Amino acid sequence: MDDLWYKDAVFYELHVKAYCDGNADGIGDLPGLIGRLDHLQELGVSCLWLLPMYPSPFRDDGYDIADYTSIHPQYGTLDDFRRFLTAAHERGMKVITELVMNHTSDQHPWFQEARSSRDNPRRDWYVWSDTDESYKGVRIIFTDTERSNWAWDPVSKAHYWHRFFSHQPDLNYDNPAVREQMWEVMRFWLDLGVDGFRVDAVPYLIEREGTSCENLPETHEVLKEFRRRLSESYPGRMLLAEANMWPEDVRPYFADGDEFHMAFHFPIMPRMFMALRLEDRKPLVEIIERTPPIPESCQWGLFLRNHDELTLEMVTDEERDYMYQEYARDPVARINLGIRRRLAPLLDNDRRRIELMNAMLMSLPGSPVLYYGDEIGMGDNIFQGDRNGVRTPMQWSGGWNGGFSEADPEQLYLPLVSNPVYGYQAINVQSQRRHDSSLLNWMKRLIRVRQSTRVFSRGSIEFLKPANHRVLAYLRTLEREQALVVNNLSSTAQAVELDPGPLAGAIPVEMFGRSLFPRIGTTPYVLTLGPYDFFWFKLRRI
Amino acid sequence: MAEIFLDILRETWANYASAARAFLPRILAMLSIVLVGWLLALLLGFLTRKVLGWIRVERLSERTGTSELLKRADLPPANHLAGTVVFWLVFVGFLLSGLDALGFQGVEGLFSDFVRFIPRLIVGVFILLAGLLVANFAWRACLLAGVNAHLSGSRLLAGGVRILIMVLAAAMALDQIGIARGVVLTAFAMSFGAVMLAVAIAFGIAGAGLARRLVEDQLAGKEKKPPSDGMSHL
Amino acid sequence: MESLLSDDLLRQLMAAGQVDVVVGVPTLNNASTVGAVVHEVHLAFTGPFKRDRTVLINFDAGSEDNTPDLVRRASLVESETLVAPEAFRTVHRISSPYHGRPGKGGTLRALFAAAELLDAKAVALFDPDVTSLRADWVARLVRPVYRDGFDYVAPAFTRHPTEGPLVTQLARPLVRAAYGHRMLEPLSSEFACSLRFASHCLAQDVWSSPFLSYGVDIWLATTALAGGFRCGEAVLGPRVQAPSAERPGLPELFRQVVGALFTCLEMHQSYWLGREGSQPLARLSDGPLWNPEGTALDPAPLTESFRSGIRDLRPVLERILEADTLAEAERVAAVEGSAPDFGDALWTQTLTQFAAAHHREVMHRDHLIRALVPLYLGRTAAFLSENAGREAAAVEERLEALNLEFEKHKPQFVRRWKAEQGS
Repeated sequence: MDDLWYKDAVFYELHVKAYCDGNADGIGDLPGLIGRLDHLQELGVSCLWLLPMYPSPFRDDGYDIADYTSIHPQYGTLDDFRRFLTAAHERGMKVITELVMNHTSDQHPWFQEARSSRDNPRRDWYVWSDTDESYKGVRIIFTDTERSNWAWDPVSKAHYWHRFFSHQPDLNYDNPAVREQMWEVMRFWLDLGVDGFRVDAVPYLIEREGTSCENLPETHEVLKEFRRRLSESYPGRMLLAEANMWPEDVRPYFADGDEFHMAFHFPIMPRMFMALRLEDRKPLVEIIERTPPIPESCQWGLFLRNHDELTLEMVTDEERDYMYQEYARDPVARINLGIRRRLAPLLDNDRRRIELMNAMLMSLPGSPVLYYGDEIGMGDNIFQGDRNGVRTPMQWSGGWNGGFSEADPEQLYLPLVSNPVYGYQAINVQSQRRHDSSLLNWMKRLIRVRQSTRVFSRGSIEFLKPANHRVLAYLRTLEREQALVVNNLSSTAQAVELDPGPLAGAIPVEMFGRSLFPRIGTTPYVLTLGPYDFFWFKLRRI
Repeated sequence: MAEIFLDILRETWANYASAARAFLPRILAMLSIVLVGWLLALLLGFLTRKVLGWIRVERLSERTGTSELLKRADLPPANHLAGTVVFWLVFVGFLLSGLDALGFQGVEGLFSDFVRFIPRLIVGVFILLAGLLVANFAWRACLLAGVNAHLSGSRLLAGGVRILIMVLAAAMALDQIGIARGVVLTAFAMSFGAVMLAVAIAFGIAGAGLARRLVEDQLAGKEKKPPSDGMSHL
Repeated sequence: MESLLSDDLLRQLMAAGQVDVVVGVPTLNNASTVGAVVHEVHLAFTGPFKRDRTVLINFDAGSEDNTPDLVRRASLVESETLVAPEAFRTVHRISSPYHGRPGKGGTLRALFAAAELLDAKAVALFDPDVTSLRADWVARLVRPVYRDGFDYVAPAFTRHPTEGPLVTQLARPLVRAAYGHRMLEPLSSEFACSLRFASHCLAQDVWSSPFLSYGVDIWLATTALAGGFRCGEAVLGPRVQAPSAERPGLPELFRQVVGALFTCLEMHQSYWLGREGSQPLARLSDGPLWNPEGTALDPAPLTESFRSGIRDLRPVLERILEADTLAEAERVAAVEGSAPDFGDALWTQTLTQFAAAHHREVMHRDHLIRALVPLYLGRTAAFLSENAGREAAAVEERLEALNLEFEKHKPQFVRRWKAEQGS
């Protein structure tokens, strides 16, 4: 088995609660998910990323964990999870889960013990202070809800440290017992057969006076220690970092290939949307060109949409204004510093734009991550509060509850999308499976073509920069294999002249239909593209 | 008279003694040079054998067929032979420079002659070796071609070709070394003529059948059909 | 940049687009026969492959008799494509001059490259001078690849067991014993293969080696066997080849065929040295394998060549054969009679010792192979005279006995092969 599997993987992010309900209680669960694995296998994805499914008071969508080593009873049992893992592995799919390292829920027994008295042995598992004056100047992340990173604990009469919500006290990673315990948690899931973790909020593990308490060298030390143990005892398993920062700031989390295997590339995503709207390749080319190289064994994670809002933290104020203007004219669609919409509504449900964006996602350097429902072009419900609008039940069919659950519609954890355009009667897996030309079948083809070669997952990238700036063209190269990708970002037909320099002599073979194109000579190579059209060519030199 | 005789005798003895006194160190010098040379030659010979052994010259000589030739000539394997040659070249060189040291008239300059002679000797040996290889190759090629063309005297023909090439190579080698050029030239001309005659006769005997067939076929306008090709082998 | 496929050819390939079946016909001065061959392939395209996308590609190595024109004209051309009334689609027929490395290997490489560009599901090759070729040959070879997932389909020809001794006496038993597959025609020019196999072959680093220019057929067959590809065999019927002035004589034929076979053994040694026994190839179509009508042959001239060869080549054979084998061969040659008593055991010993000597390169390899010719003739004479007038079935039994002798002898062959590697 290839230990670098994650470099070639297509990830699929899903909520257990939103995917399929197996016991008719209105909430998705593991047995329901097992029954839908065939859909995922057909789609061609190679790794499932499960959002938190642990016991939790659900004050932060499960990211407030009350027990690290069991499954929330709503979702099933540990046995269900074992069956799910086996079933996924049998279908050739890997599974990664959430590892929320930085903090626990205040309902977690560890915190309950720690707060119970000042001399409890677990007291030092969290960060306590008699004043709220320490670590002054550290930024507050959830500015809407939190005033301070310190919260008062009336039980033990002291302040505890939290970078996120006040009900999420930070664990104290200076304490070896905490590190040991967290490794035990990792081992628990790894022994079950989990193939890796998406590690939440990694920059905040360690606090030091007089610093921003983010990205500290001590934090890297802690992470490297986890990675060392993982590589020694569980080779072939993977750690994926969530750090919403500029690529040059994320780069240290790869270290020398001995920290994280993967990290999300956050800033690419808003720039893809921007480039499409501007009909200009500039923002996208710039962000990729300023991305530093990463070690051979590492990989970026790319995504168009995920369970959070389309985050606009990594853009300038002016760019954010533009994005709001173009993609979220309705203020209800805005939340925090972002837009709470799914892919299809963001792109006006324009099939050509949806295809182009997915094709770019699959051909830019990195492993693509799909968000559940986007493979059929599901819509959202921005009136559901927080980011729940993009977490509505998966739409399986046009029948009862969209095939998601046998429960009463009123019983569902969130109502299904039901408007005439995106509603489950119109957009669902069953009807799309029946039609060759559906988005679902197109996505299957796209994934199959991408997975037919490693040039997209492992190759280098070189932008061709033709004079026509509406066209984004790049050359992906892996050893002797080359793929030429040409995207028309514009809503109108375009002609482009490609400089033959690195291409001369090659025969372009279109990768979807295997059609031959004329050999590239020594003069500029002319291509014409329809609106939002794109080409993937394999360059053959015979 | 006796006085004169004695004087002469004494003088002669004195001369002899002084000459011997002057000569004795030269002998010692010569002996030491020869001894050192012998040791050095042994060492170099040994090194040559080892180095050639390491770089697997044996395989090369096997591939080129040199081993086979050496075996036939009852000579040791290539690396041993090279070691022996190096030993003798070095030793003879020292021997000659030892003789030079004696200061005899007539032998002086032998050493420098010898040193000048070495490269030509080496080239000569190479020519000879290459000639032998080519001769062997051509012999086998001729023989196989002859046998497969059903010529009855192909062995004779092939042998002739081999001798011809060997004689040619030997003559070139001797000429290169510079030994008795006139004799070599004459001898070569004679043997070349003899061999050519032999080849002509051999071809006459061997090729008569073929020639007849060719002429017959030509005259009768028949298709050429070697006996074994009357059927399809595939 | 130098390219295997000319711009003109590429344009023709673009016009054809993605196809299902590619049939290649390499030509050189085949004006008398190529028309019929193209016609039969065309019949296959408009018959059994009517619904599929097909293309015929002719690579011409510089004919001076209008062969390419005949290929095109056989299709009533209008710019290389023709709309045949009985065909659903436009029938594509491409003729391109071939300027690459001379020999069949280069043509085949170009054909494979073209097939890869066209994303063909099956590739087949036919010689332009086989007069017995019928449309159903194409179907029988191609269909298992196209429909049933075979990677390499070799033909099996209907012939009398005494025909083709180079196949029956030499190639067949040696390939069977070494590779462990009972391939009937390892030397045949015709074959069909999958794109997977073609791509595998294209990726091999052998195309510049000179032996491929003539030995590509046997290389393909043995590569398919050694590469773990799914191989099968389709019975086609008798193979009749038009006489040609350009076909080489026996010594040259031997150098090409046996040289290529020995070279393949060398290339695939990591595969075959460890294998035991043999399995038959999947038989993919029915039909008689044996033709009761055989050509009567006179073994006398062969015997004569054998006797004189043994006599004259002694100094050469000494270096190839082991002493007792050579002594036995000389004894056999010395016995008077119309044909030598060159038995299975002696022939097995002889051939495998030659293969091992070729592997060790005891002399120039061409010489070594030429030295085998008289021995082969002796063995052939013995076989022909022994089986003259026998029923085909009886001869077939004798052939099987020879095959089994080779298999039995394999451990010794392997020891000999390996021992000589060490020394």
